Amino acid sequence: MTTYPVLTATTFLPLVGAVVILLTGDRLARWIALGTTLLTLAVSLPLYFGFDKTSGALQFVEAVPWIPSWNVVYGMGVDGISLPFIFLSVVLSILCVSVSWIAIETRVRDFYAALLLTETAMVGLFAATNLFLFYIFWELMIVPMFLLIGVWGGPSRVYASVKFLLFTLAGSVLMLVGLIVLLYAGGTLEFRALAGLRLSVSAQAWLFLAFLAAFAVKVPMFPVHTWLPDAHTEAPTAGSVILAGILLKMGAYGFLRISLPLFPDALEIFLAPMLALSVAAIVYGAYVTLAQTDVKRLIAYSSVSHMGFVTLGIFSLNQNGIEGAILQMVNHGILTGALFLAVGIIYERTHTREIAAYGGLFKAAPIYTTFLAFFCLAAIGFPGLNAFASEFLIVSGAFTRWFGLGIMAVWGVALGTTYIVWLYYRVALGEVNPGLRGMRLEINAREVATLLPLVVMAIVIGLYPESVLGFLRAPVAQLLEIVTTSPIELAGGM
Amino acid sequence: MSDVLLLVPEIVLVAAALGLLLVARRLERARAAATLVVLTAGAAMAAGFAWPSPEAGFGGILAGDGYARFFDVLFLATLATSTLLSIRHVDSDRVRPGEFYALLLLAATGMLLAASAMDLIVLYLSLELMTLCSYVLVGITREKKASIEGAVKYFLLGSFASAILLYGIALTYGITGATGFTSIASGATENTGNPLLLSGVVLVVLGLAFKIAAVPFHAWAPDAYQGASAPVAAFLASGSKAAGLAALVRVCMVGFAPEHGLWSNVLIALAAMSILLGSLVALSQTNMKRLLAYSSISHAGYALLGLIAGTPDGASATMMYSFVYAFMTLGAFGIVIALDRRGENLSDYHGLARTNPGAAALMFLFLLSLTGIPPTAGFAAKFAVILSVVGQGHVGLAVLAVLCSVISAFFYLRIAVYMYMTDPEGEAPGRFPSTVSAALLVAALVTIIGGVLPDTLAAWTVPP
Repeated sequence: MTTYPVLTATTFLPLVGAVVILLTGDRLARWIALGTTLLTLAVSLPLYFGFDKTSGALQFVEAVPWIPSWNVVYGMGVDGISLPFIFLSVVLSILCVSVSWIAIETRVRDFYAALLLTETAMVGLFAATNLFLFYIFWELMIVPMFLLIGVWGGPSRVYASVKFLLFTLAGSVLMLVGLIVLLYAGGTLEFRALAGLRLSVSAQAWLFLAFLAAFAVKVPMFPVHTWLPDAHTEAPTAGSVILAGILLKMGAYGFLRISLPLFPDALEIFLAPMLALSVAAIVYGAYVTLAQTDVKRLIAYSSVSHMGFVTLGIFSLNQNGIEGAILQMVNHGILTGALFLAVGIIYERTHTREIAAYGGLFKAAPIYTTFLAFFCLAAIGFPGLNAFASEFLIVSGAFTRWFGLGIMAVWGVALGTTYIVWLYYRVALGEVNPGLRGMRLEINAREVATLLPLVVMAIVIGLYPESVLGFLRAPVAQLLEIVTTSPIELAGGM
Repeated sequence: MSDVLLLVPEIVLVAAALGLLLVARRLERARAAATLVVLTAGAAMAAGFAWPSPEAGFGGILAGDGYARFFDVLFLATLATSTLLSIRHVDSDRVRPGEFYALLLLAATGMLLAASAMDLIVLYLSLELMTLCSYVLVGITREKKASIEGAVKYFLLGSFASAILLYGIALTYGITGATGFTSIASGATENTGNPLLLSGVVLVVLGLAFKIAAVPFHAWAPDAYQGASAPVAAFLASGSKAAGLAALVRVCMVGFAPEHGLWSNVLIALAAMSILLGSLVALSQTNMKRLLAYSSISHAGYALLGLIAGTPDGASATMMYSFVYAFMTLGAFGIVIALDRRGENLSDYHGLARTNPGAAALMFLFLLSLTGIPPTAGFAAKFAVILSVVGQGHVGLAVLAVLCSVISAFFYLRIAVYMYMTDPEGEAPGRFPSTVSAALLVAALVTIIGGVLPDTLAAWTVPP
């Protein structure tokens, strides 16, 4: 066993780094940020090597009384569901530091401090074992993200950042009321203890709605997704990567950690609407994606569609669906993160995001275009690459729940292939766009080093999905046991 | 003799005020007088803890319990912080420092007494001492029309509210035959449901609602805050509001305990209206002091949420809220004061993060706390009061309260948008006076510690 509190160290090391950066100034900010994120990865390593995959129990648990008068404990711990997200947060943070190296020229110190603060919030959220701490980190995430979008973003960054802030805050305050109601009902806010609490069906239904307000905005589910295209498009590259890679997952993680185990009986009422909204997000999101002319906006809208797959998998309520959903979140974090990084890298050179301004990139920048091709292939679910396994699991889970859902999901996959391939066609193939002539478009070693880890992760998960799924089996089975021992026969079925 | 021990802090304050008045003609600069006030506040605070004071004295009309002690600390800290903030303004507005600080000390004396009062007459007199001094403080910058206007409005509406309070006291006395809180409580138990007693209770509560600027008795606050110089507005928002809350909590929890059903309904209405109206009207403000005035109105509503329950825990939540609010609003006003002439309009905050990153960061902290975003003290306080509201089953009220905090996020964080996301206009603000920086530091520390370790504060919130 390790001799230090791994989760606390992983969570708060970036915060320490942020404070150091604020004290030292612009000149060293990049290096301190890089050092901090790398050190955070190193500190978190015992989590993956010391983890017992066969157990669904919480591991690396730390519990210290924090606010006794509200019965709130500072509780940290991970199970197989939260672990992949912690790893993803830690890795993506390193890449975000790297990709911002040149791109961020103004107020470098503040930028890296905000970025590191988001890392603390992300890791802390996934490591929290109780709702209070979860809420604290949930809210903590909003503030630096608001600044990242609003200060270092694109032309309409202020509009996008305020919209992001108000949407997410409106959702999360209802969660606060739900949290307090649960505190009275259960006397504790520990997830594990609350899961055994069987409130009346109507109480569960109201609470489900309160938490749905928070999670649906964050995922985002149709029709509260409208903040996402603005925020993703206007954010600086690192901000888009954090948004797409981690922030969206917080909502889905909330469904898994809170909505399903705490309000299983409410699903009787909400299962059909949730599935319908998921399918709507998949198909509607995909069609809207097809119509985009801005590269970043296109990827942003594709997230709506992809997160629809995630919620579809979760609310399929079977082992395949939920495992697929979690794997899909990890894959989406890797691939959408990669696509945003790729777009950011080329944007630094061309300063345009219009698809029409590109074309023939493979002639001008063959190495870059190879990376792009790889990520596009992975994103459409090419067998042997990571998204294939997760989409397969989700579709099979959806077919098990209800045949029609599976059909819709397949339709979504087909549309997804279309918009990605068409994007690649317009950007990379054909003759070099006259506007691009004379530009040095090829990527440098730092950028290759930024993208390469994601390629490796995509291949490893693609060839050996068990590397993630192995962590999920026990906790997902445990979760389903709680959900399905509900006294009510779930609607639908085969 | 031991009864006098109860009054040592008040005696220290009054002695300093009289001393200042004696030398007032000779005082030209604010610094010396301000130093005296800060030292006096420190001495009074030390005196309060130096020896164990009796729980009650003077025939039971004054209490020296933990509740009074808590508010003593709050008022004295507010006094000291406002004084630190005021030095430059007193000099530049050419206010006579002797008079200004004597009034400040006397107003604080009234606040201290209001928190210890166990008798309606004492309560009335101490609140009058506080408000009469406040009227003058608002109008003390005589050359400014807005200042006179604010003072006159404050005075007229305040007199009206005092009349309501006095009428309520008279009715309560008429039915229960007592002015002491404990005797009122036993008298009220014998006369439950007597319509005159009920009107008395309602009138007393409404009269006190004026002091905390709860809707519909809020109309004076925006004009008074805008007209007054910023340090006075800060003192009113933090100290005067806390004094009103201190009085209200003790009257309701002790004196009117048997009529809990009635006053809790009145408070629900007051709280809901204050939160809603305060947040909505603040949206359209362009003057910082007016914005903070409307914010103080909605925060009065949040603070009342704790008292609705009528439980010791709820009262503690309200105490915590008034403490936290006092410091976060002092902090926000502190930035306004620190920026001097540049701080009064919202548009003055454009690009502040560029020209003065430290001030912008502190302002951002106070704004987050006012919005109620963790891990700031504002969140812990809001959590405590909403916890108590939900405990009483008023989930609808809790939902209203949190949704209004989203509305408030819009106008608080609009300032953050100006500071961080726009380019600076005009020249950079000058260096802050060290006294202002010290006051800001205190406010920031309370805002952070109260958020990260809320229980450090909760231990002191002894309900009456």
